[in-house]
Amino acid sequence: MANENAKDPAAVFQEWVTQWERAADQFSNQFMGTDEFSKSMNQMQNFQLEFQKGFGELMAKQLANFNLPSREDLLQLSEDVRDINRRLTRIETSIRNLAPVDNNSDQQRKKTPPRTKKPASQRSDLQDKE
Amino acid sequence: MAESAVDNKLVDQIRGMVDRTIQRSIKGVQFVNAGKAPVGLTPKDVIYERGTLRLYHYHPRSEEIYRIPVILVMATTNRGYVFDLLPGQSLVEYLLDHGFDVFMIDWDAPMSSERGLSLSDYTQDFIPSCITKVQEVTGEEEVNMVSYCMGGVLSLIYAATHLNGPLKNLVCMTTPVNWHEMGLFSLWSDERYLDVDKLVDTLGIVPAEFIEQSFEMLRPAQRTAGRLRVWSEMWNDDYVQSYRAFERWGSETLPLAGEYYRETTRELMWGNKLYEGELVVNGISANLADIKIPVMNAIAEHDHIAPYKATKPLLEKVGSEDTQEVVLKGGHVSLIAGPNAVRRLWPQIDLWLSERSV
Repeated sequence: MANENAKDPAAVFQEWVTQWERAADQFSNQFMGTDEFSKSMNQMQNFQLEFQKGFGELMAKQLANFNLPSREDLLQLSEDVRDINRRLTRIETSIRNLAPVDNNSDQQRKKTPPRTKKPASQRSDLQDKE
Repeated sequence: MAESAVDNKLVDQIRGMVDRTIQRSIKGVQFVNAGKAPVGLTPKDVIYERGTLRLYHYHPRSEEIYRIPVILVMATTNRGYVFDLLPGQSLVEYLLDHGFDVFMIDWDAPMSSERGLSLSDYTQDFIPSCITKVQEVTGEEEVNMVSYCMGGVLSLIYAATHLNGPLKNLVCMTTPVNWHEMGLFSLWSDERYLDVDKLVDTLGIVPAEFIEQSFEMLRPAQRTAGRLRVWSEMWNDDYVQSYRAFERWGSETLPLAGEYYRETTRELMWGNKLYEGELVVNGISANLADIKIPVMNAIAEHDHIAPYKATKPLLEKVGSEDTQEVVLKGGHVSLIAGPNAVRRLWPQIDLWLSERSV
């Protein structure tokens, strides 16, 4: 069995990681915490959005020419599948709820305990009175 | 004699190092090949769902429960299983074991047909519908809410717009109120530079990667440091299990409905209207000063997502007389699901809620 008090080099490593993390985060936050950074980041984001929009439209046209589905079509398809899954889960739950309870553990689960619990302070008060 | 003791200590030390190195190698292979960490294992039923919304009812585990049920309200950016991460590291399990009837409002990724969801949909439709369902299931009129981060903001807006009940007590954890103190988030979403209309109009749904990247940029070294740490702790099963669960949670960030993102940016981030008491949702004023129910505010001292200065003012702003503030060391996530949560926050929530739940 390993001696718990033994100085594991891993502990030294952990300490080094913590210090490195702190220094790296501090440096990044200083760099990213400037007005210039915010401005550049948002400019870049706007450019990316413009590009994404233009390129997306162009690609959609090209794919339509080749009689192929676009990204939008695939996303829509995936959402439809998700929607069908959600509906199936709902139907499954409804059917399960309609079925007669044939299992003891299920019966146990459905039984809600009485809502009579009192906080510890009130219980000790009652004991004191007794 | 003394020399032999030193020798034995050295032998123990070397044996320990070799043992851990072997363990790291064996478990490292298992770690790399392991699939998704199992999370959210406490038995529950989905009792209501509509689009992005899910309402769970957890199976009670006590012989008697408190009269007023508890609804956990999750932030819209992440999965609700952070409340039920692992057995022994689960707020849900803790509340159930301490005699509460627990429900949870959780969110799924909104579909493109839900891009138009707004603050009003979340606070005037989803939350009230869930409360009605909880009332039906429990037969109780009143409910308590325990909410996290943006879930706290939604709960506050709900509370401020439904002044005649049925909300009885509200616990907010790491809930930003003063949005002008959101640190780097405030800077990066500066009104002069961020074109929120272009972002929302182009994308419709704000992608999960965008949200995740924003969180990661706040602590760019965190992920790498986490991986280095888990390697050196690979022999420790509990540490690895917890790391895998947290990593899974962090990587399963949710996309956001475009309108909701636009409104949050305009009304809260730029206008700071929740803090200023000027927020209007669906034509109803959502002024924190109107909230008179008991409120508990749990704040993380080293929160990098919802900083201390952003979360601290809640109790100054609400009109409640019965309030409690809990300030704990730790960060945005460790406050609600880390070791500090298990030892410090959860017992305080239990104590505070139990006194007010009969």
